[in-house]
Amino acid sequence: MRTPAHVLAIVAAALPLLSLAPLAHADPDDYVAVPAVEYGEREIELRLGTASPTDDPHRQSAASLAFGYGVTPWWATEIYGKWHRSGATSFDAVEWENKFQLTEPGQYFADFGLLVETEFPHDHAEGYELRIGPLMQKDFGPVQANFNVFLERHYHASEPEVTELEYQWQLRYRWQPALDFGAQGFGEVGQWNDWAPARAQEHMAGPAIFGKFPLGGRQVLKYDAAVLFRLSDAAPARTFRAQVEYEF
Amino acid sequence: MPIRLLLSLALACAVGLAQAAGEPEFALTIRDHKFTPAEVRIPANTKVKLVVDNQDATPEEFDSHALNREKVIAGKSKATVFIGPLAPGRYSFMGEFHADTAQGIVVAQ
Repeated sequence: MRTPAHVLAIVAAALPLLSLAPLAHADPDDYVAVPAVEYGEREIELRLGTASPTDDPHRQSAASLAFGYGVTPWWATEIYGKWHRSGATSFDAVEWENKFQLTEPGQYFADFGLLVETEFPHDHAEGYELRIGPLMQKDFGPVQANFNVFLERHYHASEPEVTELEYQWQLRYRWQPALDFGAQGFGEVGQWNDWAPARAQEHMAGPAIFGKFPLGGRQVLKYDAAVLFRLSDAAPARTFRAQVEYEF
Repeated sequence: MPIRLLLSLALACAVGLAQAAGEPEFALTIRDHKFTPAEVRIPANTKVKLVVDNQDATPEEFDSHALNREKVIAGKSKATVFIGPLAPGRYSFMGEFHADTAQGIVVAQ
């Protein structure tokens, strides 16, 4: 693949921007991204998540509806509308996600990709958010392992701008196309170069299921869902997250 | 500590990317929405490269749950699918867009 070098050059140019955004809680409907791109595929995606209250008396819930397209064999783009509920439901943000497949699946010891997300919150006081990071995948026989690391920063926000470090992982045992099972985890450690004390970091993990139902022709329905349990005091006690994709 | 962790990850990525090797190559053709050969025999415990030539005018997706691969191949074009190393056994694959006819199997032996 020739174009990933161009992608890396663009990212290298953008990285200083991240070193120039306050600790934020992960969206309960976040998902684990994988590095592969499916060329020519169009998808409508629905994500849902709900988390136990932490420092807010209300349960935090989120939903996203997106349209995505595999523009080239190495680039997929997706536009999200995001809603948030904490007491009342409100429109939260528009997000533009771009995924770049950097290596051909299975060619090297692991597969690599890059995710670049730009979020434009409805509340202008939050500025806008940039999230960028590598996507990594490795197969161990029937088990697929993913690990992603992201730098996230708000710009032009009313609060001090810091760059935070987040991670996500999953293990997926390929059992049946309609039902694979495994585990997922998400976490935030605080500022990327000055991690927060352990009690202030968010870490959560739990069991997950995955599956795919062919609907004929190019149409496929994919899903994954997880129940995440608190592994650190700052994380919600329980989070349920789910994602459904209709590909066509 | 965090900086060292990030640098280690970057180094691991770089080393991994440098490990490209010449894998045994196997040809697979899609014509009239069928795979030829329908059975591909490959050495077990060895990474191999499948070069899939889609001679149909319409796109097809090489799809295999057992091999954990999904790759769309445009009409009248070729694509490479890396698989393995695989334990001895039979691994089914299909053309997802024409699953009623496009079926195949990889036999690792």
